[in-house]
Amino acid sequence: MRKTLLIALTMLVTLSAVSVSAQNKDRRKSFKSWDNYEITTEKVGVDGTKFVKVWGFGKTVDAATMNAKENAVHACIFRGLPGSATAMSTPPICPNPDTMSANEDYFQKFFAAGGPYLAYVSMTTDGVPSGTDKRKVKGGYKVGIYVQVMYDNLKRKLEADGIARKLSSGF
Amino acid sequence: MLRKLCFLAALMLLAGISAGAQEKIPSRKVVTSDYNRNSISMVAVQRGDSFDSEVTSAVKSFSPSQKFDVNNISTKTIRIRKSRDEAVSQSEMDEAVSATPFAREILSSIFNRDSQGMMDDKTVRYRGNYDAKDQDVINARASRVGTDALGDLGHALVKGSYVVLTDIYGIDRSVDRQGNVHYAIRSQAYAYKIGLGENGLSDFYEQCWIYDDDDDATRAAKRRAFQNLAIDMVPVAHATSFLSGSSVEDATESALSSLITALENRIPEWEVAVGIIATKPLRAKIGTKEGLTNGARYRAYSYSEDRSGRLKSVPRGFIRATTISSNTGMSIGATEPSEFYQISGLANIEEGWTIKQSNDAGIGIMPYVRVGGICTVSAGLDLDWLMKTTTHGSMQYLLATIGLDVNSNPYTAVNFGLGYGYALHLTRFFELMPYGILGLDHLGLSDDDISGDDSRFIRSSALMLEPGIRVAANVAYPLQVYAKVCADLLLPLGDIYKRYNESMEYYYNNNHHSGVGIQFGVKWTF
Repeated sequence: MRKTLLIALTMLVTLSAVSVSAQNKDRRKSFKSWDNYEITTEKVGVDGTKFVKVWGFGKTVDAATMNAKENAVHACIFRGLPGSATAMSTPPICPNPDTMSANEDYFQKFFAAGGPYLAYVSMTTDGVPSGTDKRKVKGGYKVGIYVQVMYDNLKRKLEADGIARKLSSGF
Repeated sequence: MLRKLCFLAALMLLAGISAGAQEKIPSRKVVTSDYNRNSISMVAVQRGDSFDSEVTSAVKSFSPSQKFDVNNISTKTIRIRKSRDEAVSQSEMDEAVSATPFAREILSSIFNRDSQGMMDDKTVRYRGNYDAKDQDVINARASRVGTDALGDLGHALVKGSYVVLTDIYGIDRSVDRQGNVHYAIRSQAYAYKIGLGENGLSDFYEQCWIYDDDDDATRAAKRRAFQNLAIDMVPVAHATSFLSGSSVEDATESALSSLITALENRIPEWEVAVGIIATKPLRAKIGTKEGLTNGARYRAYSYSEDRSGRLKSVPRGFIRATTISSNTGMSIGATEPSEFYQISGLANIEEGWTIKQSNDAGIGIMPYVRVGGICTVSAGLDLDWLMKTTTHGSMQYLLATIGLDVNSNPYTAVNFGLGYGYALHLTRFFELMPYGILGLDHLGLSDDDISGDDSRFIRSSALMLEPGIRVAANVAYPLQVYAKVCADLLLPLGDIYKRYNESMEYYYNNNHHSGVGIQFGVKWTF
């Protein structure tokens, strides 16, 4: 009887520890995931641009801001932009889910620190992210910034590089 | 061994239950980082007595802070039949408010409704442009609609319309020896917010807005719809004040300012909130448009997410406004910021943190005990009032003091004075203040009758000059501890003082004299 109880208690303790560890692991993983970011379309941008609010994560506010810029460009290429009360949704430039893996080297260089992606995104937040747009989270900061993505230019660049298919290529 | 394990398991189980329970507890209210201008209308409560005209005149001529827009509604007074000896209760006020079409009058004022029921959005667009922040301007420039859309922001401001009803009661008239009349009044204000729900404004536009191409029947229907609009005024806050003046009108004018300040502390939407845009010095894009004044106190907050991803606001310390920018024009995206000085908080305030209005009177109350100085041991109360503060942390104070010699029996030895102090902050935790106080040290016997005899009072007093240095340290703001070193100089003004002082020396070996003293106390800032 004692032995059974002892085994049950040991299992309970082990299970609790594993569960907590798994939760922490999941959370860490979710922060590192490329797809775990929020983006909303603010308004219809001026011609050829998309005006969005995007969130990023990093150890410092600057790193989080850079991550948010990456996320904005990433969303335009692979995820598309959601619609809002004042703007229609925008489809991704590369709707094929395999585009990223098929062109891994290209996108590693494209999204490298200081890489070409920066030419297609401008931050329009007034000063630094502030108020609820700057949050301390475990392991760093989460920031929300307003950005303008030069969507048409980005699309032309990817088409010229042979990553995205031109609309005319289907005819 | 088994018992220990059981205990451990039970403990973990309890911890698990407690963690689970915590998940279900709603998080503490998060301080908002948004602020938009509000509009108010001041209304006087009449009681049907001779004071009505003075009260109404004061309320009508009152100009609230620049942070408010004013809705010029037609109802300036409401009448409640009740003796002015008693305050009007919330239920009585609710009844009077529900009997008056305040919501319709507010909408009429904001949309410039004329006798034909025609309205326009000029005021709304003006207020939208005026309220626009730099971020709004930048957002508008980045979007296709452009800056013309800034005026649309004004539609959201309609929901921030309030009526403030002021009630003056308990009027006490007194006449001093010189024949001057003074009135002490009690005052209270009830604030009501327009009850426009989620779709309230859309319904209003749809049902009541008359277009040029509407036919007569439609126009008449829309006019009727407007008259039948059922929009409640929702009570949101109540504040009281006690003031005096040379007339009821004067006292009411003073009371109105303090009532609005008190309401600001009770209505979160009225508290200005903005982000810090730079440090060294601290800067934020608010100024005269938000009614900012030198010395105004703000509280800083940072935001974090807990393990469950819930947003929390963390208070980080207080700051005071120093250099105020004049930003009363329309924003063009480059608003000049005002400067601030941090007065408390362990952490240095960072860029991006939110600061939120946290009004105080800037008055410090300091009970103390003093050893030395004009007598052996004395106790009393110091007061200081913050007059001006600068970006580098210097602060100017008006000082007042009153003290009592605790060993002067059978004499009553009281000293009091007024002074000025110039404080320096080497860090925000310590304040060093050279100061000077000029006052009187008075000696008297309990059976002395000095009423009506100013000369006897002066003859039994000595002029007191007190230069000194005060050092204060933050304990847990607004609580500070402080010490003062002072050099008291006494100059007897009359024979009675000298006689009493000699008598104290002769019988009790405790006379009043010039000397150096040290004082300890605590300070609480209100």
